[in-house]
Amino acid sequence: MATRREHEDDENPRAKRVKMESNGHTDNPYLAHWNDEPKSDRPSNSGDLLYKFKRHGTTSKQAHDAEDGPLNPFTGKALSQKYMGILKTRRDLPVHKQRHEFLELYQKSQILVFVGETGSGKTTQIPQFVCFDDLPHLNNKMVACTQPRRVAAMSVAQRVAEEMDVSLGEEVGYSIRFEDRTSPSTMLKYMTDGMLLREAMHDNNLTRYSTIILDEAHERTLATDILMALLKEVVQRRKDLKLIIMSATLDATKFQKYFHDAPLLAVPGRTHPVEIFYTPAPERDYVEAALRTVLQIHATEGEGDILLFLTGEEEIEDACRKIRIEASDLMQEGAAGPLEVYPLYGTLPPAQQQKIFSSAPAPLKQGGRPGRKCIISTNIAETSLTIDGIVYVVDPGFSKQKVYNPRIRVESLLVSPISKASAQQRAGRAGRTRPGKCFRLYTEAAFKKELIEQTYPEILRSNLASTVLELKKLGIDDLVHFDLMDPPAPETLMRALEELNYLACLDDEGDLTPLGKLASEFPLDPALAVMLISSPEFYCSNEMLSLTALLSVPQIFVRPAKDRKRADEMKDLFAHPDGDHLTMLNVYHAFKSEAAQDNPKQWTHDHFLSYRALQQADNVRLQLKRIMEREEIELMSTPFENKKYYENIRRALVAGFFMQVAKRDGNGKSYITVKDDQSVLLHPSNVLGQDSEWVVYNEFVLTNKNYIRTVTSVKPEWLLDIAPNYYDLDTFKKGEIKNALQRTLNKVIRKEADKGKR
Amino acid sequence: MAGSDDDDDYMNMVFEEAPKQETALQRRMRIEREGRERGRIKSKAERDAEAEAAREAGLAKELDSSNKGFKMMAKFGFKKGDTLGKSENARKVPIHLDIKEDKGGIGLDSEKKRKFREHMEKAEQEAKRSKVEEGDYRDRVRQEREEKKAEKEFYNAQRTVERLHEQSLEHGKFTEQDVSKGHSPKSAMSVPLKEVNVVWRGLIRHRLEKQRNQKQQRDLKDSLTARLPTLTDDEEDEDDKLALGREAEVQLLDPEDEEDSELEEFDALSFSDRLEKIVLYLRETYHYCFWCKHQYVDATLDGCPGITEEDHD
Repeated sequence: MATRREHEDDENPRAKRVKMESNGHTDNPYLAHWNDEPKSDRPSNSGDLLYKFKRHGTTSKQAHDAEDGPLNPFTGKALSQKYMGILKTRRDLPVHKQRHEFLELYQKSQILVFVGETGSGKTTQIPQFVCFDDLPHLNNKMVACTQPRRVAAMSVAQRVAEEMDVSLGEEVGYSIRFEDRTSPSTMLKYMTDGMLLREAMHDNNLTRYSTIILDEAHERTLATDILMALLKEVVQRRKDLKLIIMSATLDATKFQKYFHDAPLLAVPGRTHPVEIFYTPAPERDYVEAALRTVLQIHATEGEGDILLFLTGEEEIEDACRKIRIEASDLMQEGAAGPLEVYPLYGTLPPAQQQKIFSSAPAPLKQGGRPGRKCIISTNIAETSLTIDGIVYVVDPGFSKQKVYNPRIRVESLLVSPISKASAQQRAGRAGRTRPGKCFRLYTEAAFKKELIEQTYPEILRSNLASTVLELKKLGIDDLVHFDLMDPPAPETLMRALEELNYLACLDDEGDLTPLGKLASEFPLDPALAVMLISSPEFYCSNEMLSLTALLSVPQIFVRPAKDRKRADEMKDLFAHPDGDHLTMLNVYHAFKSEAAQDNPKQWTHDHFLSYRALQQADNVRLQLKRIMEREEIELMSTPFENKKYYENIRRALVAGFFMQVAKRDGNGKSYITVKDDQSVLLHPSNVLGQDSEWVVYNEFVLTNKNYIRTVTSVKPEWLLDIAPNYYDLDTFKKGEIKNALQRTLNKVIRKEADKGKR
Repeated sequence: MAGSDDDDDYMNMVFEEAPKQETALQRRMRIEREGRERGRIKSKAERDAEAEAAREAGLAKELDSSNKGFKMMAKFGFKKGDTLGKSENARKVPIHLDIKEDKGGIGLDSEKKRKFREHMEKAEQEAKRSKVEEGDYRDRVRQEREEKKAEKEFYNAQRTVERLHEQSLEHGKFTEQDVSKGHSPKSAMSVPLKEVNVVWRGLIRHRLEKQRNQKQQRDLKDSLTARLPTLTDDEEDEDDKLALGREAEVQLLDPEDEEDSELEEFDALSFSDRLEKIVLYLRETYHYCFWCKHQYVDATLDGCPGITEEDHD
């Protein structure tokens, strides 16, 4: 029992097991601290502190001691006071109790499925546990931990760097699209799943990594699904590579089964029971019902914060406004305490996102009715963000989900019912600090009958053109038998292959062309990549580079509800009658002008533009420019005075987006998409002059109407000239569009003939 | 040729097809028509409906072997109807697009459908039941019609009573009541209201009310100095009256006549019942048959077929 005195925070059962295991070993880890006693002997240079560790043979005890310091085991520097403080809280995390069990399984098996509910500490701790045993820095390897979201990759890396007492970008770094914060000394790398996939394109066996952790696998993002299928093959070739699949939901048996019955370790989260309430009858208006429920909770329920799930920015901001008004009325009547309402959605600036963590307001006067906060969020508060203090969850049962249908080639965000799994996850949010309540704004019968079991993985709801190009680059030829966890419908693959063929990225056999190889170098949609690569042919690669960057970032125009008119007036300053693409380009050029760069924040604010988005575009442009220089794609511009300046840009646009073209239907407002024959309207945000017969569009958006967004006027002659394969009239069915194209073709032929005569 | 006309089988004669070439006129008209069709600006609803129809048509159309991607997949052994990957329950068709157009909560649509179905079922049952109820309806309408008729007859009968009463006064005949009560015969208008038989008291009361109202109106109009017999305070002078606005007060009836429970009770009866009572009263008091429109000489009413209207059909 002497040892117990020394390690009081060790738990008894585990301590016993450790002892049993290490019986008979000369290097009894329990006595490690005795062996380590002459600390002065230790070399102080980095890395050597863990020199005695036997790779894939360490114990939690050893790691525990190393963590205690006083020197940082990875850098050799003295550990800070702050580190010690964090270490104490880290050891309170649920995963810490199972560190030993984890190590056992990790050492024993090549693949491991780890289940830990949100708040268990898996994302921050497991990669560190791995580092102490895998010792990547001593083997010139890295440990990768993927995240579905860029923000998560950044913030978790930041946190773990603090926990390990190293500076971000050194031993611990992150890598996201268009931003890489790693160095040669990096041993633990947080990255988006998409980034790891891109790395695999150049390094098919991912040789830089000794352990790969796929975190938040339950979210089933497109990139995670592809990575799982890929890594399933890689682990066969690389027996030294370890793989950990981490999921937050208990239904992890699917992962186990997929990975040939890999062992599973589950860590319970810190959760309390949540009582679930259903409505007696379906709601006529779920938003209105949600507001009513929130106010009712506020007026009648005990202390505790409220989390309401709604679908999108507009709906959330609107609800915030209404609840604030009603709640202040309630407070004035003395029927409730103060209520602070915070919105939360992806496009919200980080500073405002941070507000959700502020504590609930105090009662108006001492002993008065308690104040509380109410967070109205999209489904990002469902799994990825942990907000303490939530006791009441209001769940109307909807979220905005991406959908793709290859038959009409539309990829859009649609408000759809959530799954049962999602509903459970939402309810669980109420039980983080103490027993909570979840108010579902639907009947129990509807929950049972109308909700699907699991949310469809992203791979079933996405256009796969970009993915197919990546896989082809990865050397996977037989996509038909590629072992995905949930294979998409064959038509989705069919359409993706066809699109890549029209873009000349794949030949008729389905093999990668030189253009396809080049396009795959760009972290872009194939259409955008092809547009960029072919832009020197139109003497405007500088401009197309800017435009590509602008199309890769969130909306640059800001249009606040209370200032719509002024915002539109400001936009008109930049408007180009030939289209939105040209307008965006005008904005960018103005943004880069000296006048604006003097005080870009003020300038963007004055012009109702998003400073963040433009800055991001600037950064993306720089990254893309590097790739272009590396690939020796010439950067050039048509002189601005040249009357072909804008025409060249419009033609270059066609080179990438010839499959996203619509023609005006008669003289009316609506347009018909080429080949898919969908009736669409120009999105109200367009700046187009009225008489554009043909337009290219960036997006086909489905709401209660079909819209095409970000449109620019083009000429039919260009379509026939630049994309003759796609505009082969024999492949068109009879109709208005074919007739119009035929007329154009006849005109072109006549002109050519006239030229010939002269 | 004329002789062979009889042999021609007109029914089975094959006509050469009319020349396909459209004439210049036809062509111009067709182009005009097509132009009009194109030029017409579609209404919003039309557009929405068209867009939805096109979408549904597009969504229903499967990509087939004519697709270039299909050929690339076929190279790896893909056949129509196959699924991708190695999983057994892989998807065969893309996920359907469901566009939510309102803010209805989960389960509302199916609830609406259920309600609609129930509503239709209910409507069906209602239709069946209403056929049964049709007979009742006819009865009710007939009753209403009869009541209306009885009302008219009742008022007629009241006027008849009055006429006979006046006649009896002229002829010096006393009514039974008058005799029994020891009253000297007087015009109904001059006797206290409550002494008039209830069957026709309503008529008199109504007339009195009307007269009094008219009188008061007249008095008001005539002059401010006009004295209302019941209301004037002798000590008040005209100025006081003016100041107190007494003239504006309108008395509908003498206070003693306000309450008349006997009349109220009688009025509560249906018109056909009241008619029956007044008819009997006429027979008993005046030996008059309302249906024969004849005053008989004695109480036997000899020659009258009966007391009801039907008896006189």
